[in-house]
Amino acid sequence: MLEKMFDPDSVAVIGASRTKGKVGRAVLENLMQNGKLRIVPINPNVDEILGLRCYPNIMDVPDGLKVDLAVIVVPAQMVPNTIDECGRAGIGNVIVISAGFKEAGIEGARFERECISLCEKYGIAMIGPNCLGIIDTSSGLNASFAANMAYEGNIAMMSQSGAICTVTLDWAERIGVGFSKFISLGNKAVLAENDFLQLFEKDPSTAVIAAYLEGVKDGPEFIRIAQRVSRSKPMIVVKSGRTSVGSRAVSSHTGTLAGSDAAYNAAFKQAGIIRADSLEEMLDYSRAFSVCPLPEGRNIAIITNAGGLGILTADACYNAGLSIASFEEATVERLREKLPPAANFYDPVDVLGDAGADLYEHALDVVLEDINVNGVIVLVSPQAMTDIPGIAEKLAKKIQHSKKPILCNFAGGSRIAAGEELLNSYGIPNYSSAERAVGSMNALCNYYSIKHHSHEEPERQDSDLVFARSFIESALSEKRRTHGLESMDILKAYDIPVVDSRIAKTLPEAIQAAENMGYPVVMKILSPDISHKTDVGGIRLNLEHADDVERAYISMMSDVRHYMPDAVITGVQLQKMISGGKEVIIGMDRDPQFGPLLMFGLGGTYVEFLKDVSFAVAPVTGAEAKHMVSSIKTYPLIAGVRGEVASDIDSIIRTLLKVSQLVTDFPEILEFEINPLMVLPEGQGCVAMDIRFTLKS
Amino acid sequence: MASILISSSEEFSGKSSICMGLGRIFQESGLKVGYMKPVGNLLIDVHGSLTDEDSEGIRKLLGIADPGKYITPIHLTDSLIDDALRGVEKDLDERLVEAYSVISRDKDVVFIEGTGGIGGGSMYGLSDPEIASKLGTRILLVTRFDSISAVDRILCDMRIIGNNDMFIGLILNEVPANMEDRVSELVVPFFEKKGIKVFGMIHEDDTLRSVFISEIVEDLHAEVLVASDKLDQLVEHYLVGAMEVGSAIKYFRRQPNSAVITGGDRADIQMAAIESRVKCLILTGNMRPSGAVLASAEEAGIPVILVRGDTMNTIERMEHLIGHANIKQQVKLDKVIELINGNLDVPAIAESIGVKLQS
Repeated sequence: MLEKMFDPDSVAVIGASRTKGKVGRAVLENLMQNGKLRIVPINPNVDEILGLRCYPNIMDVPDGLKVDLAVIVVPAQMVPNTIDECGRAGIGNVIVISAGFKEAGIEGARFERECISLCEKYGIAMIGPNCLGIIDTSSGLNASFAANMAYEGNIAMMSQSGAICTVTLDWAERIGVGFSKFISLGNKAVLAENDFLQLFEKDPSTAVIAAYLEGVKDGPEFIRIAQRVSRSKPMIVVKSGRTSVGSRAVSSHTGTLAGSDAAYNAAFKQAGIIRADSLEEMLDYSRAFSVCPLPEGRNIAIITNAGGLGILTADACYNAGLSIASFEEATVERLREKLPPAANFYDPVDVLGDAGADLYEHALDVVLEDINVNGVIVLVSPQAMTDIPGIAEKLAKKIQHSKKPILCNFAGGSRIAAGEELLNSYGIPNYSSAERAVGSMNALCNYYSIKHHSHEEPERQDSDLVFARSFIESALSEKRRTHGLESMDILKAYDIPVVDSRIAKTLPEAIQAAENMGYPVVMKILSPDISHKTDVGGIRLNLEHADDVERAYISMMSDVRHYMPDAVITGVQLQKMISGGKEVIIGMDRDPQFGPLLMFGLGGTYVEFLKDVSFAVAPVTGAEAKHMVSSIKTYPLIAGVRGEVASDIDSIIRTLLKVSQLVTDFPEILEFEINPLMVLPEGQGCVAMDIRFTLKS
Repeated sequence: MASILISSSEEFSGKSSICMGLGRIFQESGLKVGYMKPVGNLLIDVHGSLTDEDSEGIRKLLGIADPGKYITPIHLTDSLIDDALRGVEKDLDERLVEAYSVISRDKDVVFIEGTGGIGGGSMYGLSDPEIASKLGTRILLVTRFDSISAVDRILCDMRIIGNNDMFIGLILNEVPANMEDRVSELVVPFFEKKGIKVFGMIHEDDTLRSVFISEIVEDLHAEVLVASDKLDQLVEHYLVGAMEVGSAIKYFRRQPNSAVITGGDRADIQMAAIESRVKCLILTGNMRPSGAVLASAEEAGIPVILVRGDTMNTIERMEHLIGHANIKQQVKLDKVIELINGNLDVPAIAESIGVKLQS
């Protein structure tokens, strides 16, 4: 698929131009850099452009020329007709560079829809519209209007912003970073990120995948593909629109939702994608992956000629969750052999300010051989006697053949420039700060875990689907969309333990129910209109006898009618009072991009304020559910602190898996929450105390 | 010839809808129906002459040929009130009786709609009971049952009517869902015990409360930016998009039959509304959205309308529109008829004024 898009024998430029400064001329000139390519300019007004025979229409091109790819640069309103002609001429691949489509408004959106349906009709693969074009360095194709051709390399890059493509290419040219493929996605009308991920996966010239995205077209499919691709190639993605103002800009720019950042974080994590927070980070990580082997652990050795830099780097490692390696005795001894007595022989290794290239080389050789070292960060500060180019030369050669990753930080400005250039000439990155080097080392370590993480498929959880289906269908037939306590039975279909409870419509019924259940009991208001029962006085705890129940009932009705006079009250629910457990929340919110986004957090009043919750896209695996529970900051409170008994964490994980199954089985459920789920001490399970869910209309 | 006066203790209680619905049901039963709203309080200009907005709407929907000047012979103007306060005689009774005699000619039944509240018009001798007494007709009371205090109001209205023979019974209208059980189990038996006939209760209905997008456009003097062919849809609620986008999606998708009011610069909220498939987007402050957002709205078939006013101002207008919209359209009349047939004892109403309906 797409072979002829990236490695065509013959390319037509529809809208080719003689005029300098026009896109139709720039594209033609870029294509002409490849002498082997047959180029067919299309322009009805001229016979020849830049020495090439020009045809008035793509339909006029002789069959013998067999055009594999058409690059379209005519105005938007002419594009649908042009694609129709390409289809009739049997062209299978087009790149629409022209702007003026959905991004421009209603008329443009109509042109875009026409293009999509024509591509469907003829089976045409289309990139764009509104894009910069594509570059493939292994085939030598530059079908773009970029100012420069990319160097050859092993990083494949795709970007939803054409300007970010040009920025990256310009930056890459200055420091000599190469790419295998470079794709400007444009409006993603036909081909989008999922298609190119699969292309990069199979592309032998690509070792690293980098992307700038403002959104994804098909979230669940994106996760599925990325999960597979990330096992063979690292994927580094910048997703913009993270904040409320950023997401507003994405919507305004593209006419799509930027999507919830929590959902993207969860999806990326499950898909094995390394998320970069900025373009700089994306390029830093990509370069590290481009040249380095993966570290088999998180123990890092630091070699420095400046104590201060070493300390800063050690701090940065700690903050990133990397460990400072603990050297074997032999390593320390071998360092002592050559380093001056004042040097530091433990990690961070300080070779001292006057260290030359040989000392650096010796220190590097020694620490690389230490089995406790998984990766090395080398710091070089420009002292008066420091041989910057010499050290850079030695390091570059070591890095090229090392079996462990080595990242460099030549720190400074003009005095280290020679070292930086030398490294660049070997295709090796120099990180301008210790933090950037550590960030990239951390990305390498994280990817090692992703790659070697045994992937499991989510297991189907047992359920009474027939009962659940009839329950949901009957709920759907009701006018109201939000369902609460009265619908707890849906949990029973998934074997989720539910608190013993009775429903009462009147006070005498409530007293009778409490007497039958045995005290103490909890009373909760039953109303589909009330989501926060506590806020309206709709919960009474620890009622110990009939008098308590009576007072609670009367005062609850009075409170609720006062706070929510319009709420429909169908009665009260009496529950067995359960004590000695911890309250947690399991929720789901159906994300527009990725589908059911599960949420887990500790219950209680401060939860909404602390936002200490974890997310994952359902269906989740056992490992993912376990990670959800253990990754919240307040996990130690469930696991038991200061001699406290641990809660039954396995039962939380089981419940998460069951809720994951329920919300996967029923796409009709838009929002779902068990709050609280009362977790009892280890071995005693958990009990759902309250639920709330919203169904589609 | 039979007649009935539909009265209520307050405005917007559903008198027009009941007149219209019963009128159509009686027409379908083969009866010749007349309609009057003797005192017009919502004055509009129709082809150069003043008439009442309600009565003009009903006249059209019921296909009544009588001229407007007989349907609404008296207009509630400032001068009418001033003259009444000064004690100036205006021969209102004669106008009323004359109009009634024209309207009732060749009719089997005439529906007379009260003006505002039951006691309104007392200052010039045309409160609902006075009109009923002058025309020799009986009163059907419609009450909006918004709270339990409606019971007090009904008992009070009966005292105003005074003469029990003139009163045929009552309809409890717009009973909220949370009160339906209480009303049917306690309130209706309470009235029945007092010998007051309850012809039925009608619950709150979203279709009747709703407004057409075209009505919103008209009321807000708005500019339609896209999907101008989709203005014939009903909006049941309005939602204000002033929150963070994640909450907005939840909020919008719970009430998809809504119009979302937000600023023209809130592209994130606009997209959340479009993705949630709400009925309409109202952009305030005369700020045009981006072309990409408009394109998405058009693809989704969601009208985007632009208003000059700020959000607060727009909310106030919407507050007034929703729930107070007139029944001018067939779809709403159909709903009224469905609700009346489903919830009221129509044969009993007919019988109380001596009319027998064909089944």
